[in-house]
Amino acid sequence: MPAEEHPNKAAFLQRVREALGRSEPLLHMPDHPTLKAALPRQEEKVRTVRARVEVSRARNIKRLVETATAASWYVHGPVAAEDAADVVAEIATGLRARRVVRSSEDIFRRVNVDGALRRNGISATVLASGRSRGRSTLKGLAFEADLGITGVTYAIAETGTCVVTPRKGVARITSLAPPAYVALVEADQVLGSMDDYFALTRLAHQKSRGRVPTYVNFISGPSRTADIEQTLTIGVHGPGVVHMVLIE
Amino acid sequence: MAKVKSAEFQKASARAVRDEGIQHALTHVMDHFTEARAEAIATDYSDESWEAMRTRAAAIKAHTIGSLDYYLDLADKSVRRNGGHVHFADDAAAATQIVIDIAKRHGVKRAIKSKSMVSEEMGLNDALERAGIEPVETDLGEYIIQLAGETPFHIIAPAMHKTRGEVSDLFHDWLKSAPTSDIARLCSIAREALREKFETAEMGITGANFVVAETGTVVIVTNEGNGRMTTSTPRVHVAICGMEKLLPAIEDLALFLRLLPRSATGQRATSYTSFISGPRAASDEDGPEEFHLIFVDNGRLNLLKDEVLREALSCIRCGACLNHCPVYRKVGGHAYGWVYSGPIGAVVTGPMTGMKQAADLPYASTLCGACRDVCPVKIDLPKLLLHLRHRHAEGSPRDERTGTWMERLYMRRWHDAVKTRGALERSTRLGRLLQKPLVRRGKLRSLPLPLVSGWTKDRDFPALAPKPFRQIWREGLGEGGDAG
Repeated sequence: MPAEEHPNKAAFLQRVREALGRSEPLLHMPDHPTLKAALPRQEEKVRTVRARVEVSRARNIKRLVETATAASWYVHGPVAAEDAADVVAEIATGLRARRVVRSSEDIFRRVNVDGALRRNGISATVLASGRSRGRSTLKGLAFEADLGITGVTYAIAETGTCVVTPRKGVARITSLAPPAYVALVEADQVLGSMDDYFALTRLAHQKSRGRVPTYVNFISGPSRTADIEQTLTIGVHGPGVVHMVLIE
Repeated sequence: MAKVKSAEFQKASARAVRDEGIQHALTHVMDHFTEARAEAIATDYSDESWEAMRTRAAAIKAHTIGSLDYYLDLADKSVRRNGGHVHFADDAAAATQIVIDIAKRHGVKRAIKSKSMVSEEMGLNDALERAGIEPVETDLGEYIIQLAGETPFHIIAPAMHKTRGEVSDLFHDWLKSAPTSDIARLCSIAREALREKFETAEMGITGANFVVAETGTVVIVTNEGNGRMTTSTPRVHVAICGMEKLLPAIEDLALFLRLLPRSATGQRATSYTSFISGPRAASDEDGPEEFHLIFVDNGRLNLLKDEVLREALSCIRCGACLNHCPVYRKVGGHAYGWVYSGPIGAVVTGPMTGMKQAADLPYASTLCGACRDVCPVKIDLPKLLLHLRHRHAEGSPRDERTGTWMERLYMRRWHDAVKTRGALERSTRLGRLLQKPLVRRGKLRSLPLPLVSGWTKDRDFPALAPKPFRQIWREGLGEGGDAG
């Protein structure tokens, strides 16, 4: 049940309208190409995007390595799925991480991160309801952790970006609160550009009758600031160390 | 609303020019911005050239502003479909009241804030404090100026005028930290101090870089991660934005997310871009249970009403016009006297807050055009500044007349004197006669008239030539060798 319309809305919009020299609302949707494309048109567009992503996969991955490295990610791989867990364990031991938190996603079935960490004497805590806990313990665990690990929904070669979509199994703070972060990226998740991503998002929005993920993050490198004397400093409120593990 | 001190522009800029600290910061920091931007737009991003991107972005913003009522309605419906609440506030006071009401309903004692220029317009922090709610700025620069009790010096680098020493002193005073000149150490002091606030605040307040009408999505572009914290850990999230921040469709974002970071900090992408579409879903692991979006007018209608100034509503607040402005680079952000500075501040402050007190701002420009050349949405800032000067001189039905009666008298006389050829010839003849006792070597040392006498205080005024060109022409150019 949507919230009620704000009592000032009608008057507010009327004033805007009059400032624009109109007294009536527009009768039709204004002519804007990205807004007008109906479902069949968007489906066609997305087919093109998917075909292009498929064909350019190798090039996109190469580009992602370049842009992510330029954005101060530590990029690993591409490695085979069976080796990926060991790469993560190496990162964790290299960071001397003792408390590790992770999301609950399909990728962890293909990549046995828990097992590899255990072999190195580290146990990972899954930050997801059902497994534990109320909101405050979830927050507390994330704030005390040394390392957070999640999968991604996409990666974008253009900008060196991991697209992380918090949802069931993926808490917002797993990729945010610990001082170090590892993103697991599978080759078929790599898109060429932001245009690719938004075309896919729009189609999903149209197909689900207006539903969008409640929260999406583009993560393009470590937390940084230059607010004091324009001097770049890494790791303010988010992770200062970020690793991207590319999986074939 | 935050106090407007733009009437003191001349005094405040004179003070800034004499302030060694400010001059040092401006000299050293501004080049960082301009160089990073130049480098960023020289690198490849897509098949589209930088110029083509700017042109397209300007068109999209102009289209959106031209149908703003439609897009506000669409955004309202989309956000509410996503489970959020939408508010429409006519002015700063109304917006402030909405925030305080939400806070009271949730028993909020502490609110964490990610950067929001509109909340600066509102003077929100003071209002929250008066209502017994502790506001905590979490962007490092904003946190520093909050501790210092100042307003932002720059749209995207609010504390750029503070040295590490001053920051260390502030942290020592407020957080009892040991003095240090290590910037990384200062950052970690702030990190520690703010962590506790992130864990305990009940309410998160943010601005919005963009609002997508089609999907009801608020987009926040940050580097530190405080924006993510503010929208993840508290129970309630309130986003406040100017009513012009809309984009029609989600696919328009790619373009604007290319333009904004490159223009602002010279980055290909900022560390974080967050897309918020309503409160957490029941199945989500965390996130605010309630989401509010407040659209704020607060004087923007005055820009919208004026067909020329309307263009200023396309601004995406990147700060590039500040960084490239020879006036801003000398006087800094505080001299402008309100929230926005530089060329865009000189344009919007008057219409948004009252022309009379901001009458000097449209003149705070050399009209060199650098701002227009770097603007990612191609706002023709010099044109807008000239338009405001014109309104200032002529008076406008929209705002109180700001020129003095004497200025208007002179302008009327000037108009009479030059409007026809006959009038011009008569008035120059009279002028030559009147100037005679004052001319020294072809110059007038002083103009003994009220108001214009100031012009000759530091320079001479060129006198009328003894013989008008038309007369020389009639007498024959060739005779007597050269024409002079």
